[in-house]
Amino acid sequence: MMGDVYAVYLRELIRLWRQKVRLVTTIVMPLLWLGVIGNAFNNAFKMPFEGDFLSFLTPGILVMTMVFTSTISGITTVFDREFGFLKEMLVAPIKRESILIGKMLGGVTQAILQGAIIIVLAIIMGVNFKGIESIPGMVLTMFLVSVAFVSFGLAVASKMTSMEGFQMVMNFLIQPMIFLSGAFYPTKMLPSWLKIGVKLNPLTYGVDAMRYFAVGINEFNVVIDLTVMIVLSIAFILLGGYLFRKS
Amino acid sequence: MKAIEIEGLIKEFDGIRAVDGISLEIEYGEIFSLLGPNGAGKTTTISILATLLKPTKGKVKVNGYDVVTQAGKVRHSIGIVFQDPSLDDRLTARENLDIHGRLYHMKKDERRKRIEEVLEMVELQERADSLVKTFSGGMRRRLEIARGLMHKPRILFLDEPTLGLDPQTRRHIWNYIEKLRNEGVTVLLTTHYMEEADKLADRVAIIDKGKIVALGSPSELKDSIGGDVIKIRCSDANKMAAILSSNGFNAMIVDNEIIIKAKKAEKEIPRVFALAKDIEIKSIMYKEPSLEDVFIHYTGKAYREEAGDEMEAIKRRWRMRR
Repeated sequence: MMGDVYAVYLRELIRLWRQKVRLVTTIVMPLLWLGVIGNAFNNAFKMPFEGDFLSFLTPGILVMTMVFTSTISGITTVFDREFGFLKEMLVAPIKRESILIGKMLGGVTQAILQGAIIIVLAIIMGVNFKGIESIPGMVLTMFLVSVAFVSFGLAVASKMTSMEGFQMVMNFLIQPMIFLSGAFYPTKMLPSWLKIGVKLNPLTYGVDAMRYFAVGINEFNVVIDLTVMIVLSIAFILLGGYLFRKS
Repeated sequence: MKAIEIEGLIKEFDGIRAVDGISLEIEYGEIFSLLGPNGAGKTTTISILATLLKPTKGKVKVNGYDVVTQAGKVRHSIGIVFQDPSLDDRLTARENLDIHGRLYHMKKDERRKRIEEVLEMVELQERADSLVKTFSGGMRRRLEIARGLMHKPRILFLDEPTLGLDPQTRRHIWNYIEKLRNEGVTVLLTTHYMEEADKLADRVAIIDKGKIVALGSPSELKDSIGGDVIKIRCSDANKMAAILSSNGFNAMIVDNEIIIKAKKAEKEIPRVFALAKDIEIKSIMYKEPSLEDVFIHYTGKAYREEAGDEMEAIKRRWRMRR
C-alpha cells in the first residue's frame, strides 16, 4: 500500500519538477497583491488593529494562493483521464485509494512549496512574522487548507468533462469564498449582512488560523479555526474519494 | 487450464448490447485475434478481460482467475496496450517503465534489469532518457508494448496496436508481436485490419455486432468458404445474380458486385460468360479468398474499414499527443 502510494506520488513529484517554472510563474499574482495592494494600503488607511496592513494581508494571500494551487491540482486528474495515464493506474494491481492519496499528496506538496516561496518573499518585503515559533502552526494550517482544496479539486474533477467547467467552479465557488474570507480586510469592518456570508464561509477560519500563527492577529478562537478546517478537510476527502471512486 | 475462458459473456450499456453472448477459449502461448469492424464489441470485451468493466452476464476467467471476484490477481497476470495512448509524456521512457514496475510491486534490481530488457526488445535503448513528449507515434506504441511486458505478464492484450500508424511502422510493430510468440506470452489482439489478423494470429474470431460469427485459424476460415472468390461487375447485377443462382451458383450481391465461390475459378468463368448472354459484363476477376471474403461470407455484408471513424480515432490520438 505504501509502495503504491509512493509510486503515484513519485510520478507527481517528477511532473512537478519538470514544470518547476510554473512554481515561479504562479507566484506573480500573490506577489502583485503584496507588493502593490499591500504597500499602497499600508500607507493609505489606518487599520483597526495593531501592526501594518502588509503583515495583515500576507497570511490572507498565502491562503488564497494555496487554495488556487490546490484546486487546480485537481485538474491533473482530468488531464490523466484525457491522456489515459489514469487507465494505466486503474489496471495496475493497486487500490483506488492509493491513487487518490498519492495524487493528493502531490497537490499538497506543490501548494506547500508555493507557500514557502511566498513566505520567503514576504520576509524580504519586511513582513513581521512572529518568529520561528510560528512555523509549526503555519505548516499545519497550510497542510489542512491544501488537503481540503486538493480533495475539493478531485471531487470537482471527477464530475467534470471539460475545462470550461473548471472556470465555472473557480469563478462561482472559489473566488467568492476567497473574497468573503477576510483574506484582504478585517471582517469587523463589514456591514452585518456580509458578515453572515463571512461566518458561513469555512475558508474564513483557515485565513484566521494562518493569520494567528503567522503574525498574531485573530478574530476567532484558533481552536475553533482548526476544528472547522479539520472537519472541512475530512468532508472534502470523503466527497473527493467517493466521487473519484465512482467515476 | 486455459489462458482465457469466456462463457456466455453479455455486456449491456443502458439496455444496448455491446457484447452479445460471446464464448471463447484461448490457449496459453497462442496469438489470438478478435477481428471486426469498429463498434463490434472488441474493446468492450478487452475492457472486461482487463477488469475495467464488469460483465452484465456470463463467466470470464483470465489466467484461471475470475475477473469479478479475483480482479487483483487478474491484473497481476495481464499486460495491456490500450487503444488510446496512456503514457505520461512529461516523463522519460525509463521513468514510465519504472513507475509501471513500482505499480506492479517489482523490486528495484528487478526493475532496473527488466527495463533494459524491454527497451532492447522494442529498440528504444538510445531514447531511454528522452521525454516521451519528443517521441513519434510509432515510438510511443513501441514503448507502450514494452511497458505492457515490463512486469512479465503471462497474457498481453493489444487493443488496435497499429491504429493510425503508417504502413512501415505497422510492419515494425508486427515484428515485435511476432517476437512475443518466442517469449511464450499469450497475446490477445483486437484489430479491424484484416491483413493484421491474417499475418499475426494463430486463431481469429470474427465478431460483428457483439457476436462471434466465425472462429478458426486464418487458413481454416478461408477454406471454410469453399475455394476461390469470383467478383463480377455487370450492367444488371440483380438479373445476373438470379441467372447464376438458378444455375447452381451461390451468388451474393455486395456493393453492386456479384460474388460467387468456385472450387476452380478458371473453369467457371467461361460458364459465367455463357450465362450472361445479353447482360454486359464490365469486369470479372477472381482471387484466393481473404479474411475480408470470410467476413462477407458470414455476415452477408461488405467489410468497411469505416474511414470516418478511423480518422476520428487518429485525430483524437493526435489531440492527446499535442
